[in-house]
Amino acid sequence: MKVSITFDRLRWEEKALKDAAEATGLQADLVDVKGLVFEVPKRPAELADVVLHRCISHYRSLLVSRAMEGTGVYVINSHAVAEVCSNKLATSIALAQAGVPTPRTFLTLTSEAVDTASDKLGFPLVLKPFTGSWGRMVTIVRDRETLQSLIEYREELANPMEHMYYMQEFIQRPPRDIRAIIAGDSIVACVHRYAPPGEWRTNVARGGTSKAFKPDRELKEMVLKAAEAVGGGVLGVDAMESSSGYMVHEVNNTVEFKGAQSAVGFDIPARIMQYVARSAKR
Amino acid sequence: MNTSCTECGAGVVVPEDAIVGEIVSCKDCSAEYEVSEISNASVMLKPAEQVGEDWGE
Repeated sequence: MKVSITFDRLRWEEKALKDAAEATGLQADLVDVKGLVFEVPKRPAELADVVLHRCISHYRSLLVSRAMEGTGVYVINSHAVAEVCSNKLATSIALAQAGVPTPRTFLTLTSEAVDTASDKLGFPLVLKPFTGSWGRMVTIVRDRETLQSLIEYREELANPMEHMYYMQEFIQRPPRDIRAIIAGDSIVACVHRYAPPGEWRTNVARGGTSKAFKPDRELKEMVLKAAEAVGGGVLGVDAMESSSGYMVHEVNNTVEFKGAQSAVGFDIPARIMQYVARSAKR
Repeated sequence: MNTSCTECGAGVVVPEDAIVGEIVSCKDCSAEYEVSEISNASVMLKPAEQVGEDWGE
C-alpha cells in the first residue's frame, strides 16, 4: 500500500513516520503541500490513495484536507476532525456533548459581555485564542484589572477573531498534565508532561518534559471517549488531574510525539503507521 | 554538504542524510532555511517560513 505523508514543515515526527511506514511494509512518500496545485476536483499526481496529513499550519491544513478529500483521497485525519480540533470552541462543544469532563467554558462575542462570563467563572480564569497551539497566547488571568488590560489590547488588533473571547475555568492541578496519543480505538502512549521552571504551561514546545506512565481505567475510557467525540483518528488528547477527577482540555489533530517518544520504550510512529494501514484497508 | 547563510555569511552545514523539505539553521545567527533541492553533492536552500500564528499541533 502506498501512503503519502503530507507536510508543510518537515519535523522529526514526519521523518520518523516515513521510516516507520517502510518498516511496516508501506510505501511512503513525504509530500510538501506547499508545492501542490489542485485543479478541483482532480488529484495531484504527487498524492497516493491514502494520506496521513501532517501540516503545521492550521489554516493550510484545513484547506488541503478539504481539497484532498474532494479528490477522493482517504485522509487521516479527516477534514471534519481537523475542523473540530483546530477550533477550541468546537472541541469544547464536542467534548461536552459526548459527556467528557472538560473545564467550564464560555464564549462571548463582544468585550462588553466578558464581565458577565468572568463573574460566572471567577478568578483566576484562563483566556485562550480560538485557534493555535503550543500554549501560545494561553493566559492565566488572575484579576479583573488584568482581564480589562488584555481586552483593551485585543480590541486594538485588526483581526476580528481577537474581538471575541473564549474563556475557561482555571483548574487547580499538579504541575503536570497528561498527553495521550491515540490511534483509532487504541492508546498508543500516555505521558505526564511537566512544566519547565517558571512556566505553568506544560507544552513540550515550551520546554515541558515527558514521563511515561500507565493510565488507569478511568483515564483510558475518558481519552478514548474524547478522541471518538471529535471524530477519531491519530490524535493527541490532553487531560488534567483536577480535584474532581480527570478532565480533557484539548484534542490535537496533528499530534507531535517527539517528547513522548523520548519517554517510552517502544516505537510510537510504528504503532501509528500500523493503524494507518489497518484503517486504509477498511 | 555546506552552503552559506544569506543573513550573516557563516557556513551552514547540511547533514549528508538531509532530504528536501528539511529545516536547517545557521549556527551563528540562527536563521532558518528549508532544503529545496539536492542534486549530486550540492544542496539548495531557501529561507524557511516564519512561525505562523496558526502553527501547532
